[in-house]
Amino acid sequence: MVFNSLTFIAFFAIVLAIHSLPLPWKIRKVNLLVASYLFYSAWNPPFVILLWISTVVDWYAAQGLVRAQRPVARRAWMLLSVVANLGMLGYFKYGGFLLANFTALLASVGVVYHAPAPDIVLPVGISFYTFATMSYTLDVYLRRALPARNFLDYALFVTFFPHLVAGPIMRPTELVPQFEQPQRASRRRLFFGLALMTVGMFNKVVLADGFLAQAAETVYDSDKIPGALDAWMGTLAFSGQIFCDFAGYSTIAIGVAMCLGFAMPDNFRFPYAAVGFSDFWRRWHITLSSWLRDYLYIPLGGNRHGPRRTYAALMATMLLGGLWHGANWTFVVWGGLHGIYLSVERWLRKRFSGFKPNLWALLAFGLITYALVNITWVFFRAKTFSRAWTVLRGMFGTNDKAVPLLSTESLAVVGAIIVGLVVTHWLMRNRTLESVLARAPAAVLSCTWAVMAFAIIATQGNGNAFIYFQF
Amino acid sequence: MHLSTSSSDLVVARSASAEARIAQRPGLRLTAADRPGIAQPVPERDVPDRRWGTILFVALVLTLLMLGAWEWHWRSFGVEPSIANTDALWATQRRRIDQGEGDGATVLIGSSRMLFDLQLPVWQALSGKRPIQLALEGTSPMFALEDLADDPNFRNARLLVGVAPDIFFSGFAYRGDVLKYTRKQSPSQRVGQWLSMHFVEPFLAFDDPDYALPAVLERQDWWPVRPGMHPRKDVRKLMVVTAPDRASHIWDKLEKDPAYAALAQSIWAQHFSLGPGMPTPARLRKLTAEQIARASVAVAKLRKRHVEVIFVRTPSAGQYLVFEDKLFPRAQTWDVLLARTGAPGVHFQDHPELQGLWLPEWSHLATRDAVRFTGALYRIIEHDTGHQIAGVAAKPLAR
Repeated sequence: MVFNSLTFIAFFAIVLAIHSLPLPWKIRKVNLLVASYLFYSAWNPPFVILLWISTVVDWYAAQGLVRAQRPVARRAWMLLSVVANLGMLGYFKYGGFLLANFTALLASVGVVYHAPAPDIVLPVGISFYTFATMSYTLDVYLRRALPARNFLDYALFVTFFPHLVAGPIMRPTELVPQFEQPQRASRRRLFFGLALMTVGMFNKVVLADGFLAQAAETVYDSDKIPGALDAWMGTLAFSGQIFCDFAGYSTIAIGVAMCLGFAMPDNFRFPYAAVGFSDFWRRWHITLSSWLRDYLYIPLGGNRHGPRRTYAALMATMLLGGLWHGANWTFVVWGGLHGIYLSVERWLRKRFSGFKPNLWALLAFGLITYALVNITWVFFRAKTFSRAWTVLRGMFGTNDKAVPLLSTESLAVVGAIIVGLVVTHWLMRNRTLESVLARAPAAVLSCTWAVMAFAIIATQGNGNAFIYFQF
Repeated sequence: MHLSTSSSDLVVARSASAEARIAQRPGLRLTAADRPGIAQPVPERDVPDRRWGTILFVALVLTLLMLGAWEWHWRSFGVEPSIANTDALWATQRRRIDQGEGDGATVLIGSSRMLFDLQLPVWQALSGKRPIQLALEGTSPMFALEDLADDPNFRNARLLVGVAPDIFFSGFAYRGDVLKYTRKQSPSQRVGQWLSMHFVEPFLAFDDPDYALPAVLERQDWWPVRPGMHPRKDVRKLMVVTAPDRASHIWDKLEKDPAYAALAQSIWAQHFSLGPGMPTPARLRKLTAEQIARASVAVAKLRKRHVEVIFVRTPSAGQYLVFEDKLFPRAQTWDVLLARTGAPGVHFQDHPELQGLWLPEWSHLATRDAVRFTGALYRIIEHDTGHQIAGVAAKPLAR
């Protein structure tokens, strides 16, 4: 089920009520585990089997890793986990994509092959929970952590519903210890958790779905040709939509966990105030970028084997990171662009290592970063390369037969929200939400909370799934 | 076994520089981005030291006050709480056929005219059986016709197909994804629909897409029209669903408020000229031929399962009727449809008892006249011409 639905409100109220009862900790953990399976099966019940497979395989793989003495045996247990998880991910997420590319490859050498339509349904959240469970066996394999003490804690780590389908991608060392001791939110944590849920819901329902999605759709899902204004505003709208959608989800997830007495990590840190792309990736989808860094970039050699190997590892990581988002070459290009940006930035930082930018230069670099990030969003949002090129040409003002696509109202609303968003990110660049809330007048907090709650209800969200569910 | 304490030590050691950096900036906290290549520790989440209980209480009161004002505003406008005409509600009715009611049922498909104009209680009173309402506003019934044609659960039945020429013959489908939604509807969405229908919709008038915040903002007059764009207003609220089986009628504001009816007419009038973005006459002819061909195939399949298909040209009036006659002349559309499909049809212009009806905005019947229309239509189908089994009557009924 999605967070922005009546079903979730009812579900969460029941789960929270049971979790608050004076029951033994084990019973309350079982409540959370059963609730998490219900949460997942509320989409498509049979897919819960995949979740169980992933859970069981990694549990036994980690146990095997601890018992194994020889490096070969340890590697075998690790590979079992990786192959099982990536195998499931590959079949369900990339099966159709691989088949289509294989068919195209054969056609390019003159072999006509009509592959049957695979008709594979993508299990929601599979990219997220496979990465979470893999981090469990990989941490044990890399001797960074020992396995969980009992299966219940481990199964709950994999399945815990706030992070299950769209992250933040949790590591076992972040969550399993929290299950080892009874957790129940204090009243303050409960109320603050509800405040975070409201902030996240406002981002998702009001800003992303209510006011930004339509403009992005108008530009990207149309067959009409946009001019510079429409192409930029459609892309800026998407940049706002995807941030509000995904950061909104993460904030709700953190709030939900907090209401239950658990802590989840930050997934975003005001990314549109990033100066440079390494800074951007320290602020955007932090739990994915750090996962890729720890389990892909560093094992590929990281920056330990000279510049060439570093750049190769960087590009490989970002290309695979792009592919993780979706089975389409447009996502690979998106990742590749970020890889190039990061490589160029790395080279520039070495070349001008003594350069210390002043405030204005910092702002300028920040805006350049945001503009270049928007270029990458074109490939992320467009369903085809053809449409991506059309929008890109529009952004560079080279579309000949452009027609106006967005209404005055749409331009004004998108403009206001994006300016507000970017300014907020800059003001919050070196702060946390909590540090600001600690100083704001109580009346302002109450009024802001009420306005957001009213806007959420009055916008009447139609329960749109979060964008990242498809990944 | 407990997670390694040594990994925690490692965390502290390796992230020391990051911590030092963060420590210089109060208000920041470490994230996984600051701790490369190590096991991540349990996150720390601070709660600002505020009186959150009081803040929440005041926020709740303010929220309720704002919602109360919003609700009062829309009730003053004439809106009453009603059942939401959602895809999920449609899915509940479509499932009735899957669950066995399709054998011997009367099913209605079409667009908004079939939805608002055909009154289920009247039909039930006359026939003893309540039809299954599957018509969808702004949507050609072709998808439903083909879906039912392929459904073996639908047999020995009667299917009334509403024909609004501009929608039926163009194949326009405002809600064309409803079938896909129905097939993929998750348990969560089903529960959500039930909760909404029982705990939200009966109480809140503003719970209607026409009064959603973005829609209200978008239609304000203060926005200038962008050069090069045509001003365009979206269709406003026109109907009320009165029962969970999608029994509906026109919203009475259209009958009582001439200004609102005029607004609805002006919105229809946007479509009456072949402006930019509208299909050309040649394109319309091609679309019409395609729709009739698809209907013929579907009707032939249904006939094999003893389903009586009856096309119904629901009433229209004023400039809307002029527009339809001009773009979709009867001889090139309706008459061809009946001839090709071999199915009988009822055209409102052929029957005196279907004349003199009031359509406040040219396209849908006033509720009182919808009652009259339903009764007359039932009698035409059942009595005036006798019960005609599909395949026998390839002609208009009682013309």
